[in-house]
Amino acid sequence: MELSNQLIFVAGSLFLLSILASAFTPRLGVPLLLVFLLIGMLAGEDGPGQIHFGDYHLANLAGTAALAVILFDGGMRTPLKNFRVGLRPALSLATVGVLVSTAITGAFAAWILKLSWVEGLLIGAIVGSTDAAAVFSLLHTNAMHLNQRVTAALEIESGTNDPMAVFLTLGLLQYLLHPHTFTAFDGVFLFVQQMGLGLAFGLGGGRLLEMLLNRLELSESLYPLLALSGGMLIFGGTALLGGSGFLAAYMAGLVMGNRPLRAFASVRRFHDGMAWLAQIGMFLILGLLATPSRLVPLAIPGLLISLVLIVVARPLAVVLSLTPFRFQWREQAYIAWVGLRGSVPMVLATFPLIAGLPHAQTFFDVAFFIVLVSLLVQGWTVAAAARLLDLQMPQTGTRVRRFDLDLPGGPGHEIVSYRIGSSSALVGVKTKALPLKDISRIVSVARHGKLLHYRDWGALQVGDYISLLAAQAELPLLDEVFSMRKSAGNSQENRYFGEFIIDSNARVDALVAAYDLPIPVDAHGFTIEQFVGTYLRRPVVGDRLRLGQMELIVRKMDGVKITGLGLRLPRSES
Amino acid sequence: MKLAEILSSSGIAVGQTVASKKRALEEIARLLAFGAPSVSQQDILASLASREKLGSTGLGHGVAIPHGRIAGISACVGAFIRLKHAIEYEAHDGRAVDLIFGLIVPQDATGEHLKHLAAIAEKFSEDDFCAALRTTADANAVHALLLD
Repeated sequence: MELSNQLIFVAGSLFLLSILASAFTPRLGVPLLLVFLLIGMLAGEDGPGQIHFGDYHLANLAGTAALAVILFDGGMRTPLKNFRVGLRPALSLATVGVLVSTAITGAFAAWILKLSWVEGLLIGAIVGSTDAAAVFSLLHTNAMHLNQRVTAALEIESGTNDPMAVFLTLGLLQYLLHPHTFTAFDGVFLFVQQMGLGLAFGLGGGRLLEMLLNRLELSESLYPLLALSGGMLIFGGTALLGGSGFLAAYMAGLVMGNRPLRAFASVRRFHDGMAWLAQIGMFLILGLLATPSRLVPLAIPGLLISLVLIVVARPLAVVLSLTPFRFQWREQAYIAWVGLRGSVPMVLATFPLIAGLPHAQTFFDVAFFIVLVSLLVQGWTVAAAARLLDLQMPQTGTRVRRFDLDLPGGPGHEIVSYRIGSSSALVGVKTKALPLKDISRIVSVARHGKLLHYRDWGALQVGDYISLLAAQAELPLLDEVFSMRKSAGNSQENRYFGEFIIDSNARVDALVAAYDLPIPVDAHGFTIEQFVGTYLRRPVVGDRLRLGQMELIVRKMDGVKITGLGLRLPRSES
Repeated sequence: MKLAEILSSSGIAVGQTVASKKRALEEIARLLAFGAPSVSQQDILASLASREKLGSTGLGHGVAIPHGRIAGISACVGAFIRLKHAIEYEAHDGRAVDLIFGLIVPQDATGEHLKHLAAIAEKFSEDDFCAALRTTADANAVHALLLD
């Protein structure tokens, strides 16, 4: 009884500390995951907490479950439209990229730690994947505005490269345990089995779960739980049958998140919380598990391996994987830098320990060291790197604060509420003049804490809450309307997107007539959209095409079609 | 670059009232013609209007810079109007326009002339400058602001 009470007390205080830390650290720019890890280490055997925790089985269980939740949630948050530009580069990064980075890091680790080359490769595989939790949380903070090609590639990569790292780790582990019977054929078979089953069960399971959620009549609060347990079932079932549970969980989340779903708002909110819980819990446990004092003798080789991973293996992997996709060098450099390592390596490093492999403790300690360095060096500088490489796009919208309520009986519809902020362009706009689609209706306007009669709505004021009935499919449009920002100045946005707008349907001839630009003669009959389309494959907002001293910049896209362009003038002398 | 290099006081009008973008362009063309006696007002208007077909020259924040290339002049010519009432100009931010700077450049527009356009756009992107242009009461002060 006493022990239970102590455990609950410890768990409660560690979680509370971590949650409090999350309120302060963003202002310091410290990666949050690092803070959780440090709290875990401080509570551990080398810190003032003095908690001796060395149960690798429990850590493995907690880490695996947490990863499953994070990937399931990450899939749900990935909009399918990102796949248009991001899928193929991301898959290339997740397969070729992981292989290259495993090989280089592994070979170097084998050499410097004087291990056999297979053991070295095992270390390479353990630290082979980027961290989904770290990358997701990085890309969803409002401070970062990168173009869609970069965000989509990073996001999908981090969701799909864990299965590859898991596969490589398991394969190498099998080989080390049974060096005489494990053949290359077994390796290929393992790959096909893991990925094939993971993909199939993920897609199928996601569809089934979606049907179940939409058809079953349950008490309201059970829908999110149903979704979560379904996700866990898909993960566990796939893994038991020899597939990749991580891939299945991500795919299932992706399927569910991109279809009309009953109670979607509460499902998402719940999983948001669960993903936080999983992240905090996992990093606390991994911090507890580590023994910092054991890292000291590893400091020099550990630092060198991290260095090779960060400045040689990852950049080379990125360049090789992205060669067919025409990324700009700046974009490649950024993707290479944001190869954050996180929880996956530490979870994977518990596998050799559980299997009782010789040197397993070294693998774990090295992996832990690399993760620490990666979080410190890369995690701390992701925003600075984006600025340095000139990849930050100007913020065109103000932050929207949206609250969703499901509409029972009308699947696919929600009541959403927006707060009109002081920087909103809608301040002073009459409710009747809001550009809303037919089906979206204003339900209420609250001002100074009171609901107003509809005759008194008038023009919107700062601090108003406006609630609308809307179809889920229209939410992105509504978000766009309510994020319109009363722009503070022309300069920044105009510098980035160009001073003037160009009609994408206008003729190239007209552009030549106005500016005498060097455009090939055979392009003169084209519309500007067609002309730009021949040079930019799979364009995204922010892409630019240089014409003499001017630049055409993609301002707006509707699906695959460029609908708005900007014209950027050369810099003036002054 | 100083605006005074391309703008003379005969090219500045303050407190005009026009009904539409089309009328505003006509007015700008009329003022530009003072500074470019070698070309006709119609040719200037045609050049400005064909540039507008590419997309509005509205900069946002109530400012527009209609411009065009034209044969028969040897240097850039500018003109400025402050409207009494802002008009719809199809600008990308949807805001009505009340400050209009017109510019015509020689047909063989080299990079130099583009840089003039860039400098004007930069100047008119400064909020303080635009605010001063709007709040200054009399025409003389507007002249001083532009030609200083």
